[in-house]
Amino acid sequence: MVLTGSVRMSDSGHTRRRVLGAGGALAGLVTLSGCGIFGDDHEPPAGPDPLRPVLDEALALAAAYDRVVLADQTLSARLTPMSQAHRAHAAELARVIGTTLPSAAPTAAGADNTVAGLRTAELAAQKTAAAACKAAPAARAALVGSIAAARASHAEALR
Amino acid sequence: MKDELAGALAAEEAAIWAYGLIGVHLREGAEQDQARAAEDAHRVRRDDLVEQLAALRAGTAPTPAGYELPFPVTDRATALKLAVQIEDGVAQAWRTVLPVTESTQRADALSALTESAVRATKWRKLARLTPLTLIFPGRPTA
Repeated sequence: MVLTGSVRMSDSGHTRRRVLGAGGALAGLVTLSGCGIFGDDHEPPAGPDPLRPVLDEALALAAAYDRVVLADQTLSARLTPMSQAHRAHAAELARVIGTTLPSAAPTAAGADNTVAGLRTAELAAQKTAAAACKAAPAARAALVGSIAAARASHAEALR
Repeated sequence: MKDELAGALAAEEAAIWAYGLIGVHLREGAEQDQARAAEDAHRVRRDDLVEQLAALRAGTAPTPAGYELPFPVTDRATALKLAVQIEDGVAQAWRTVLPVTESTQRADALSALTESAVRATKWRKLARLTPLTLIFPGRPTA
């Protein structure tokens, strides 16, 4: 399990030759995708980018902070840095995904516009980002990991 | 990957050393408990890294003869400041482990990064430093 990227690639290459040699082209494809050796290849994935939910959550969180501050201006100094952090996350994610940011943030249905509600949302969003980090190709792992850690630290700051 | 894990090990060693200095300047009770809990967490990570590096047959780097403090730690304020700096540094070291690991090993590195970011926030709160959080925890500040 403790192999470098290049070693893993060549290992998988052997696997492919063996499987194809056995005449199982389809099985070979399954094996290859199962190994995840395309992880670093930046293949355009079918369907929405796996980081899209992390981006959407960042925008939704930023908007949620704004709503709470709008309702209680005294919270502005405390909450604005976190709202700005979510916008910075969204901008970086959009750059990595290769998309543009929507002008209007999605509003979560039945959003709880309280500090406690923000905290709950941060913890849920941390889980999304942590799962995305685990599944991400190497080139994206650090960014998504930092975003997961940021969400956890926001939840701590809101305690 | 050895280099990144060795970097994390060096950061954890430094953290264990630093918390020995930090604790005595903090208020008895909750604050010192927080420092002790942090030190224990860093020890667990350190021991785990030593095992991983042994499994990789990578010699662990010798512990430096002496650490140099970034500033003198003489009171509660400077102790809290050092605690923040230590946790930010540990977070940076673990962040570099993410791209070179996969699955559970990466999840473990992310836990370490996240826990350091959360501890840094706790220390900032006690030190009344604002903002309480970094935008990208673990990303080196230019």
